[in-house]
Amino acid sequence: MPKVTIDGKIIDVPAGTLIVEAAKPVGSHIPVFCYHPKMAPAGMCRMCLVQVGMPKMDPATKQPVVDENGQPVINWMPKLQTGCTTVVSEGMVVHTTTPQVAEARRSILEFLLTSHPLDCPVCDKGGECPLQDHTLHYGPGNTRFYVESKFHNDKAVPLSPLIMLDRERCIQCGRCVRFQDEIAGEPSLGLADRGRGLEVTTFDDPPFNSNFSGNTIDICPVGALTSRDFRFTARVFELNDYPSVCQQCAVGCNVYLGTRDNLIRRVTPRQNEAVNEVWLCDKGRLEHHYAHSPERVTTPMIRAESDLTPVSWYEALNFVANRIRPTLGESGKSMAGLAGDRLANEDLYLFQKLFREILGSNNLDHRFGWSQWNAGDALVKNFGAGVGTNLGELGKGVTALLLGADPQTEQPVLRLRLSKITRQGATLVVANGRATKLAQYASHKTIYRYGAEAYFVLGLVRAMIDAGLHKSDKANGATEYSAALNLTVAECAAKAEVSADTLKTIGETFAASENGIILFGREFMYAMQRDPAVEAALNALLILSGHFGRKNNGVIALYPRSNSMGALDMGMTPTDGGMPASEMLTKAKLLYVMGADPARENPAFKNPGFMIVQDLFMTATAQKADVVFPASAWAERDGTFTNTERRVQYFARALEPLGQARPDWAIIQELAQQLGAKWTYASAGDVMNEIAQRIPTYAKMTHARLQVNARRRASVQTVGGDAAEPVQMALGELIGVVSGAQWATFSETNADAKFDVKFVQPADSAQATAGVYLAVTRALLDCGALAQYSEIIQTRVPDASVEINSHDAEAWEIANGARVRITFESKPPRALELPARVDGSVPPGVVAVANNLDGTMNLPMGAQVQVTQVQVSQAIAD
Amino acid sequence: MIWEPIILRNKNIPEIADIDVYERNGGFTALKKALKEMTPEQVTDAVKASGLKGRGGAGFPTGLKWSFLPKGVFPRYLAVNADESEPGTFKDREIMEKNPHQFIEGVILSAYAIQCAHAFIYIRGEYPGAANILEQAIAAAKQRGYLGAQILGSAYDLEITVHRGAGAYICGEETAMLESLEGKLGMPRVKPPFPAVVGLYGKPTVINNVETLTNVPPIIDKGADWYKTIGTEKSSGPKVFCVSGHVNRPGNYEAPLGSITLRDLIFGAEYAQGVRGEKNVKGILTAGASAPMLTAQHLDTKLDYEAVAAAGSILGSASIIVLDEDTDIPWATQKMSRFFMHESCGKCTPCREGTYWMFVLMERINTGKGTARDMEMLPIVANQILGRTLCPLGEFATSPVLGTLKWFKHEYEAKVSADGNRETEK
Repeated sequence: MPKVTIDGKIIDVPAGTLIVEAAKPVGSHIPVFCYHPKMAPAGMCRMCLVQVGMPKMDPATKQPVVDENGQPVINWMPKLQTGCTTVVSEGMVVHTTTPQVAEARRSILEFLLTSHPLDCPVCDKGGECPLQDHTLHYGPGNTRFYVESKFHNDKAVPLSPLIMLDRERCIQCGRCVRFQDEIAGEPSLGLADRGRGLEVTTFDDPPFNSNFSGNTIDICPVGALTSRDFRFTARVFELNDYPSVCQQCAVGCNVYLGTRDNLIRRVTPRQNEAVNEVWLCDKGRLEHHYAHSPERVTTPMIRAESDLTPVSWYEALNFVANRIRPTLGESGKSMAGLAGDRLANEDLYLFQKLFREILGSNNLDHRFGWSQWNAGDALVKNFGAGVGTNLGELGKGVTALLLGADPQTEQPVLRLRLSKITRQGATLVVANGRATKLAQYASHKTIYRYGAEAYFVLGLVRAMIDAGLHKSDKANGATEYSAALNLTVAECAAKAEVSADTLKTIGETFAASENGIILFGREFMYAMQRDPAVEAALNALLILSGHFGRKNNGVIALYPRSNSMGALDMGMTPTDGGMPASEMLTKAKLLYVMGADPARENPAFKNPGFMIVQDLFMTATAQKADVVFPASAWAERDGTFTNTERRVQYFARALEPLGQARPDWAIIQELAQQLGAKWTYASAGDVMNEIAQRIPTYAKMTHARLQVNARRRASVQTVGGDAAEPVQMALGELIGVVSGAQWATFSETNADAKFDVKFVQPADSAQATAGVYLAVTRALLDCGALAQYSEIIQTRVPDASVEINSHDAEAWEIANGARVRITFESKPPRALELPARVDGSVPPGVVAVANNLDGTMNLPMGAQVQVTQVQVSQAIAD
Repeated sequence: MIWEPIILRNKNIPEIADIDVYERNGGFTALKKALKEMTPEQVTDAVKASGLKGRGGAGFPTGLKWSFLPKGVFPRYLAVNADESEPGTFKDREIMEKNPHQFIEGVILSAYAIQCAHAFIYIRGEYPGAANILEQAIAAAKQRGYLGAQILGSAYDLEITVHRGAGAYICGEETAMLESLEGKLGMPRVKPPFPAVVGLYGKPTVINNVETLTNVPPIIDKGADWYKTIGTEKSSGPKVFCVSGHVNRPGNYEAPLGSITLRDLIFGAEYAQGVRGEKNVKGILTAGASAPMLTAQHLDTKLDYEAVAAAGSILGSASIIVLDEDTDIPWATQKMSRFFMHESCGKCTPCREGTYWMFVLMERINTGKGTARDMEMLPIVANQILGRTLCPLGEFATSPVLGTLKWFKHEYEAKVSADGNRETEK
C-alpha cells in the first residue's frame, strides 16, 4: 500500500486510489463537480486541482534524496494536478490548501459562474447544490464578467416526462451522460455541439427513456436536471427527510421520503451499499403518489342493506367481532386470511397470530394471482446466500448464475448492480427462455427451451460430476445421485436446446469457482412449480457444488414484492393442512383480505359469505366486502420489510395518517382485543420485539438495531462536513454506509448439517417439444394497484403487445405493429388480440406477453398455464 | 544552396503522384528493403537513430514513441493524424495530394515497425480531394502488392483505412482524434493512460503526423547516418515550412531544420520573396495561431525547434504567418480568439469558459468598448486558463493573447478608453 502525505498527514492507501479518495480519510476536502465515486474519472471540471509532488530519487541508489533534516526532497510538478484522475503512488506529497490551489479553485468557480444564471432563489437545487456550496466555501465573492455578455441557452427544456433540463444552469460535467452509459447501461443521453454551446441532449424516442433517469437529478451538481414531479413544490431545506424503504419491488432500495405539510414531496435514494448503493429506479421514485390519493379509503365501512356505509371504528370492529365470536373455536377452520406481500413484517406476523392463536385457523396465504407458487422456499431457508453477501461487490472468484429471471423489469436496481460485476472480475451466467437486458453483461449467456429447465440444470450437475468437480462432504446420497442421474450432458443439452459445450462450460465454471451464487426469478419459479424435478435439480447443483453456507455462496430467490420474503418468514403460508389461496376463494366461509386484491386479477372472485377487506383503496375486492377497514399507507407508520436477499430493513413513519386510517398491525390488534385477546403492543416496535423473540432467524432484530444508519437526514448541510451523511449525493463525497440485517440460513447456523440429494426424473412436459408457446412476462411500469396514481409513470406505461421472433413473424407473415390474434390453451380456450412487436428478445417458437398491462391483466398465470400453446390464427391489418 | 526536397519531391518531379513515376524514382525501395532485410525492431532502431522528431507540432522523437508500445499486446494500431487544422498549416495537404505514395510507403513502413495490421488515416473533412487521392493511392499500392495480405511475399499483412473527420480542430489532438475515430464526440481523453498503452479501441496505438511518416522511406532507404547529416544535431532532417500571410509568394518550402532563418524564409528568392508592397514585418506567428507572436526583431532566428523556443515561441508544425506593418494586431488577435472559442470542445471548464471570456474582452477592445479594466482582465483570464486545462487547446488559446500583449500592448491601449466609448475607425 503506497504511503502518501496529504496536507502533512501520512496515510497508507490501497494502490490505485485516486487523490480525491485518499484525501477523505485524512479530512482534507477536495471539491469536485464532474467526479463521482461510482463512476470512472473524467477530469472535466478541473475543480479538484491540487499540488502534487514526488520524492526526488537518486538514480544510482534508487532511494529518495533527503535534505539536511533527513526529509525527502520533493520534486513539485510544475502544474497543479487533478485529484480525480491522479492515482497515488509511494511517497507522493499532496497539498490541498496552498494559495495556488485556492486560487485555482477560485478561478474555476469564477469561470463556471460566468454564464451561470444565478437563479438560486427559484432553483430546486438551491440548498443542496454543490455549485452553491463550493462557491460559498471556495469561490470568489463576486464576478468580473460582464452580465450582458452571459452566454444564454435554453431554459426549461423537457427532457422527458420526469426530467426538466435547464441548459443555462448546466456546467457540462457530463455526470448524467456518464451515469446513463456506465451505470445504467442505457446510454440515453449525450453531449451535443461544443465549446460554450456544449449541451446535454437525449437520443431516445420517446425522449430519455430510461427507468433510471431520476438518478441523474440526484447526481447533477447544479440545478440543470430537476424533477418535474417535485419542482417548485418545496425548498429542499424545508423538507423533512425520513428514512424509508421503497416498497415497489423486492430489492428494498433505501430511500428518504422528503415531506412538507404532511405530503411526500419527493423520494430520493438513501445510501445503503449492500442494497441500492446510491441509486433508485424511477418507479420507486414516483409511486409514492398513491399515499395522497383522494381515492384513499379514510373511514371504516360496513355493508348496510346493499351499500357500504361509513361507520366509526368502534362500530366496524364490533360488527366483525360479533360476526366471528359465536363461531370461535368450532368453525375457525372455515375462516381464511389472505394478505398482500407489500405489508410489513409486523402486520403479517400479527395477522397470522390472530388466525393461529385466536381464530384457530391455519388457512393463511400471501400468494394469489400471478405470484401463486410455493417453490424454492426450502432452498432459501437452507442455502440462502450467506450473510455478508453484497451483490454489488461480487468480483474475482465469484460465479453468479441467473436463472429464469428478468431483473431489468422486476428488480431494476439489482440489474443495475449485477451489470458491473463482470467488470469487477466476477463471472456472470445468464440463462432464460428469452433474451433479457442483463444478458448483455454476461460472461456466458444462453437461451434454453421454456419447459426444459430441469434438463438445463441437470446438464450443469452432470457436467460438474463428469469433470469430478462435485463435493460430497455435505451431501447425503451423492454416490446414489450420480448413479441415478441417467442423463448425459448431450442428452440434457438436446432437451434444453442449448449446446452441450455451453452446459459443460457453465457447469464446470460454476463448480470450479471459489464462490457461487444462484439467483432464480419468477419464470424459474413457475418452472419449479410445474415440475418438482426443477427444484430437485437445483438442490443437487447447490449441495454438490458446495456453494452454500458462507458469504458469496448460496441462493437468492428474486421475489415479486417488497416483503414476499418477510411474508414467508412470518409464517404467512398454510401449514398443517391449511388452505392455500387457491382453495380459500372457493372453500372458506369467512375471508379476511389484507392489502390484497384478488378480484382485480380474477373477475370470477366472489365474497364467500362474509368478507373483511383491509386496504388503502376501494379495490375490486373491497367493493365486494362486508366490512372495509381503512389502513395506513406505509409512509404513515413504521415497520420492517425483508428484502429478497433476506435483509430486514426498517422504515420510519413520515406522515400523519389520512382520515381515520390506522396501521394494519393496530387494526388487527384491536380486532383481537375485541375477541378477547390480551394483546398490548404499543407500537410496531413492540410487535417486532416479539418477532425477535419468537422467530429464531429474527433474533435480536429490534427496531433499534435496524435503525442504525437509517436516521433522518439533517436538513442543513455543510461542505466538507460529515461525509457519512448520504445527503452528499450530488457532492460525490460518499463513503460506504450499510444498514439493515440479513438473517442467517440453516446451513450457516448448522455448519455440520448434511443435506439429501435425490434425483427426480423430469416430467417430459409438452412444452419442451415442438410448437409455439406463450411466455408471460412483466412490464416494469404498469397500471398496477399503486402505480396508477403516478401521472408521470402513466405517461410511460407501454401499450400491451405480443413479442414475436422475427423468423416466426416472417413465416407467419406478420408485420411489426400488425394486430394479431393469439389463441391459447385454457379452460375454456381463450384468445388475445394485440399488436405484434417483432424483435429479437424471444427465440423462435415463443411469443411473449407482459401480463400487467391494459388488456392482458387477467392472462392465465401461475402453476398451470405459464407456457401454453398458441396459434397465430390470423393477422388483421391495421 | 538550393535544397533538393526529400519530402516535397513533387517540387522537382511534378508527376510523382503517379505511382509509376514514384516507382521509377526509387519509390517503395525502402519498403522492399525493410520487408526483405530488416526486422520491425531494426526499422524502429533506424528511425530512432535518425533523430526524426514528430512534425505534427509537439516534436517528440518518433522512434522513441514507437518503442513505448507494451510488448506482446495485440492488436495494436497506427493512427495517422492528417487532421491538419492549425491555421496557416497546409504542408500535409501538399504531401497527400502531390506526393501521396511516399506518405503511404511511410505508413506501411511504420506500421510494419510497430507490427500493426490495420492503420487508420484520420483526414480532416475539408480535404475531400486529398482523401480521394489517398484512397486511390492505397488501391494502387494494394494492386502492386505493397498493401493487403502478405505484402511483397512476406508474412506481413496491412490494411489502411482513410477516415474523414467532420470539421473539428480538436480532433487534431491525438486522443480526441481517437475518440472521433471510434465514432464518439471529439473530446480529448484524460492522460495517462497514454495512447501507446490504451489507444484506439482500448489497444496500444501509435499516432504520427503525415509529414513525420513521409520522412520514414528516405531514412530506411538511405540510412539513419545519411539522414542525420541533414539539419542540426538536435533537430535532424528536413522540414516543410508553410508560409502565409502578407508575403509575396505564400506556399510550402522545404529546408533542413536550422539551415535557414525566418528572414531567409520570408525574404529569400527561393522562398516567400518578401512582404507584399515592400512593407516591413510586424508580427510573425511560427506555429499558426497556437504560438506566441514574434516580431521583426526575431527575423534572424534559425528555424529549428530549439532556436525558436529560445526566441520565446514554438516551431510546432512550422506554419509561419507573416503580418505586415499595417496589421491591426488586436484585431488580428481577436480573429484568433474567436477561432479558439469556436473550436474549444467544451469538455473542461477553463478552456470552455475562458476562451469565451477572452473573446468577449477582445471584442470589447476592438469595438471601442474596452476599458483599462478589460486590459487588466485579459492576462488574468488567460492565466486562469494556463496550466489547468485537460489538453493543450486551452493553453494554445492564451498564446496569441499573451504573445501580442507582450509586444504590442500599446496597440491595445490605443483602443481602450476610460468610459469604454472610444470612436472606432471601422
